[in-house]
Amino acid sequence: MLFGRHQEVTPVLEFLIPNNVVCHAVEAMLLASIACSILSVIIVQINMGSIGFTMAHAAFAGAAVGIFFSLNPTLTAIIAGLAVAGLLGPLSDRARVSADTALGALFGISMAVAVFFIAYLQQIGRGFDASGLLFGDVISLYREEIYALALISIVAILLVTLFSKEIAAIIFDRKIAEAAGIRVKPVYYGLLFMIAMTVALSLNIVGGLLLYIWLVMPAVIVLQFCRNIREMFITAPIVGACISVSGAFAGLNHSLPVAPLTAILFSIVFAIAVIVSPRRRVTVRKN
Amino acid sequence: MTDAVVNLSGVYTAYEGAANPSLRNITLTVDRGEFVVVGGPNGAGKTTLLETINGMLRITHGSARVCGINLLEDGVGVRRRVGYVIQNFAFDPLSPFTAGEVVLMGRYGRLGYLNRPKEPDIRAARQAMKMLGIEDLADSPIGTLSGGQQQKVLIAQNLAKEPEIMLLDEPFSNLDLIAKRSVSTLLHDLARAGITVIVVSHAFDDLPPRPIRILVMNRGEVTVDRICTPDKVEDVVRTASGSDARA
Repeated sequence: MLFGRHQEVTPVLEFLIPNNVVCHAVEAMLLASIACSILSVIIVQINMGSIGFTMAHAAFAGAAVGIFFSLNPTLTAIIAGLAVAGLLGPLSDRARVSADTALGALFGISMAVAVFFIAYLQQIGRGFDASGLLFGDVISLYREEIYALALISIVAILLVTLFSKEIAAIIFDRKIAEAAGIRVKPVYYGLLFMIAMTVALSLNIVGGLLLYIWLVMPAVIVLQFCRNIREMFITAPIVGACISVSGAFAGLNHSLPVAPLTAILFSIVFAIAVIVSPRRRVTVRKN
Repeated sequence: MTDAVVNLSGVYTAYEGAANPSLRNITLTVDRGEFVVVGGPNGAGKTTLLETINGMLRITHGSARVCGINLLEDGVGVRRRVGYVIQNFAFDPLSPFTAGEVVLMGRYGRLGYLNRPKEPDIRAARQAMKMLGIEDLADSPIGTLSGGQQQKVLIAQNLAKEPEIMLLDEPFSNLDLIAKRSVSTLLHDLARAGITVIVVSHAFDDLPPRPIRILVMNRGEVTVDRICTPDKVEDVVRTASGSDARA
């Protein structure tokens, strides 16, 4: 439970789902999956899968630091995610390593910080259960978290709609986009900012270890069928939302862990998509 | 009075994080409509020169104006008026972009944020594809095209920009003999139309039949700058850069 205050609120989907707990969980999974699925298209297409992985763990480390210093863990998780976003470019440029290598280093640092603070909290008798941050805790959500997720989903939709051509060009090839005279850096860092925010806000729902699934799977599933980027941006959130809502219903109705179950559902759908994909049968033209 | 579109004076450039400059003390003026070939051994700074002219590299010393714009102040403004066909590209067979979409991306820079491509942009993209003879590939996924076809798509993308300068890094490397000749003729036509063409190449067989300005680079400096006929270009480059010229 990342937000400090608990306020009773009537879920928006209560008219469909009478059970308050289930309704909250479904709303959270729906909103988190929309934001994550939209961003997954960008993450997968720019071959930066490790960015989601690293940011999830940076947010996890940030939350641990926040708990240690009695600060709002969501806020510190966002700050940690933004720090990774801000460090990524300069670190890969100055150290002259690929962005992927820089992310690997940042991932290691994040895990070290997280484990250090969790262990120290336990040592000084302030131990807390980190399983919610690692594997998600979809039933202990508050109004602010749902609102923040709704807001980030709307911002994600607006971002990819308003800057569709810039994002498309960056996805195609960042260097070619820059050579075309597109101001790449503001859009690129805006995307990193969005990923950091989404990761931090989704951390309590699906957990730092599983969040990677939400940030990659929706895009790789629809990539098996879509021929253009527009189709991917439209279908990825639909597929992500359907799987996430199904996972939430199934998990809560059968008393199973929601986030891990949904992650397994994503994996099954991905396997089926790969098997039936018509795009595996592409024909490469020769000169 | 000359009509210079490239004006570099004592320019040093360095890649981000590099201790030493990649280009040293480059002073170069290129006029509108000139056809320039840049040669020299690998690592001489040829690509770096192109990326300096289009403002993608940090200038550490010196002054530079391209298309009348101060490069140190407005690199993006320069890139909107300069076409740059990169050397190394490899597109994923599952890339979700068609050749037509890639060509249209050449217009995105000049459109600016929030503006969508309109009819003139689509027309310019179509015209560019027609000039390269690839209009029938418009709906083909870029990743399924051959290397030569992809090369033509990237040239078309930069033509769609309606540039004042075309920078091309090894534009003939993926092309067959017929395609090389047609691209060479196209570049010749562009230069005659007043577009400055600067080509980095190791292949000198298909240069257009016109006076060629040859720049030979070595260790980040321009060591030779002269005008010659196409048949002499290879000799000039070989002589100036030794046996490494074709490395």
